[in-house]
Amino acid sequence: MVPVSWYLAVAAAVFAIGLFGILTRRNALLFLMAVELMLNAANINLVAFSVYWGNLTGQTFALFVLALAAAEVAIGIGIILVMYRNFDTTDVSAAAEMRW
Amino acid sequence: MVAAYSPLVVALPFAAFVIAVAMGDRLPRKGAVVGSLAAAGALVLSVLLAVTVAASGTYTATVWRWAAGADGITLSFGVLVDPLSTMMLIIVSLIALLVHVFSLGYMNDEGERDLPRYYAGLGLFTASMLGFVIADNLLMAFIFFELVGLCSYLLIGFWYREEAPPSAAKKAFLVTRFGDYFFLIGVVAVFATFGTARFVGPMAFPTLAEAAIAGEVTVRTFGLSPQTWITVVGLLILGGVLGKSAQFPLHTWLPDAMEGPTPVSALIHAATMVAAGVYLVARIYGFYAVSPDALAIIALVGGFTALFAATMGVVKREIKQVLAYSTISQYGYMLLGLGAGGYVAATFHLLTHAFFKALLFLGAGAVIIAMHHHEDMWEMGGLRRRMPVTYVTFLAGSLALAGIVPFAGFWSKDEILYETLIHALGGSSVLVVAFAMGLLAVVFTGFYTFRMVMLTFHGSPRSTHAAEPQPVGMSMRVPLVVLGLLAVTAGAVNAVPLQKLTGLTEIDFLHQWLDGGTATLTAHHYAELLPYTSAYLGGGPATTVLIGAGASLALAGGGALAAVLLYRGPEPTAHTDRLGAVGRLWYNNYHLDEFQVYLARGVTAPLAGRLNGFDQRGIDGVVNGVARVAIAAGERIRRLQTGVVGSYARVITIGVTTLLVVIAVIGGWV
Repeated sequence: MVPVSWYLAVAAAVFAIGLFGILTRRNALLFLMAVELMLNAANINLVAFSVYWGNLTGQTFALFVLALAAAEVAIGIGIILVMYRNFDTTDVSAAAEMRW
Repeated sequence: MVAAYSPLVVALPFAAFVIAVAMGDRLPRKGAVVGSLAAAGALVLSVLLAVTVAASGTYTATVWRWAAGADGITLSFGVLVDPLSTMMLIIVSLIALLVHVFSLGYMNDEGERDLPRYYAGLGLFTASMLGFVIADNLLMAFIFFELVGLCSYLLIGFWYREEAPPSAAKKAFLVTRFGDYFFLIGVVAVFATFGTARFVGPMAFPTLAEAAIAGEVTVRTFGLSPQTWITVVGLLILGGVLGKSAQFPLHTWLPDAMEGPTPVSALIHAATMVAAGVYLVARIYGFYAVSPDALAIIALVGGFTALFAATMGVVKREIKQVLAYSTISQYGYMLLGLGAGGYVAATFHLLTHAFFKALLFLGAGAVIIAMHHHEDMWEMGGLRRRMPVTYVTFLAGSLALAGIVPFAGFWSKDEILYETLIHALGGSSVLVVAFAMGLLAVVFTGFYTFRMVMLTFHGSPRSTHAAEPQPVGMSMRVPLVVLGLLAVTAGAVNAVPLQKLTGLTEIDFLHQWLDGGTATLTAHHYAELLPYTSAYLGGGPATTVLIGAGASLALAGGGALAAVLLYRGPEPTAHTDRLGAVGRLWYNNYHLDEFQVYLARGVTAPLAGRLNGFDQRGIDGVVNGVARVAIAAGERIRRLQTGVVGSYARVITIGVTTLLVVIAVIGGWV
């Protein structure tokens, strides 16, 4: 059986890639994808620990996260559409009206 | 049961006030009729109450409890109908009625404007005083005490279009407020000490004070002994008394208050404002009787004021000024009587003084009307032939004021001096001083009274106004005659000297009257509490009465005779200049007015300016500085909000990473 720490390493790598995407990209669509990567990194953790402890709660929770991610994408794309309509771009740094 | 209707005594004049305010211009005689009817109703009710008290004793009831605290302290309005308060109710409502009637001639017939405001003021004044008199606790008394002060302000400043009256009104208000400030602290102190401010009942504060000094109950005395603390509280309350009763050093408002209409002066001096102070001491006399120090201070202040004010009255030019100083002096006698243990004597003087002083003021009012509003006595003269009714009644009042037998003032003033004398002989050295001052003031009283009579009514007219005085109407003569009769006869209610000399008993009616009612509020009970012992000259009360009365009568007669001799003849000469520097000092009121102005302008105002500066710069500076720091910091910190979502993500990442590292280090994971 594969030790749980390997799963954790994979999850951490996926999370770091997602975080790297958010910190370096300015395209809103890429943002959305990066967030998906981070959510799935969490899912890997949940499922890995679920198997490790022999407890199904973690896997159930992972299903909820998937549903949440789907909803998040729907709303996220809606926001990106509105943003494109108002700013003619999907560059997240353009939408900086709401500040001091 | 008449007593149950006792709140009506206050409500009637108050209703007259409301009616005069609401629809004064449409009322008959601009509100005078309604006001007179209300005062007459109050008088009738007061007499009925006195009859009830005589028949069935003290009546007391709570009318309205307007606040009740968790620790048993309740604040309420209530009535206390006992011998003392009914006597005062009769005095106040009688004088108020006569003043209303007199005002018909003094104000209405002279075509004054704003009369509804005048009668509204009189109504509220009467109602406030009656409410003060009938009050059953100290807080209610204080509230009405303040209302009395407010009404005097309104009425003294009645002619507000002129320059002097508003200024005099403000002075009266401020000076009495200064005293009332101490009174207010005293009221709070009474509540804090005893948890009640009631005058009567088993839990009345004078009764508790008595028990506390005897060690039977414990009260909160804030670290002092009960004796000391009760003296302190008594002196705080006395502050209000000194202000209202115009005693040294808070007397300066009263001569200025002469700027008000003369009937108002009569009301203020005889029955309401000034009487309130002395009445308050009489009302809570049980509280003062257990404090020898407070009594000594009252006696000294009273005796000193009696003499001090009398000297100033000697040199004044205006008839109302002389009367004003005589009022201060006479109330000094009353406080002397109270301080010397003569509770009945002082109350008696309050009664007779109300009659003869109201008479003198109304008489002066008649003279002023006759003189076309000229008040300088040196422009008068010879008025006795032109206005015989005024002259005769004024003379009766003057004889009473000077203390000539058998007029009312003689009996009461003599009893005060007698009580002071026997208690001074009993070993109280303070009372010896007070008695000496009181006795010396008798000479001055006789002198200034008859100087006033001679200059006003005798000799030949010294101005065209005096030669052709304007006749005064019936509405002014009737009150004069009523009061004149009272000034002659009122002494008969308490002819103690006669009782002592002839051995007749049962003719000291006022003594018996004030010995009735609730046991803790009787003259008898007070006499037991007093710290004085009595001793007599020549072996007995009768001899002492003869010597004391003889001395004061001789002094009064001497003073009066001197005035008559100095100012007789058709063209009297002014002798004031012969007094030189002393005369000028008296004429300028010992420069006390200037001194008070100096205290206000030279001491209080700069101090207040300093404090204001400290408040503006110091306190406000700190508060504003804190706000300015917050604004500047906010201005800088808000730059963090870039609006760029990437930078937020960066901050979150750095923050969470830092947090993780810190937890890892502290938690010992690495």
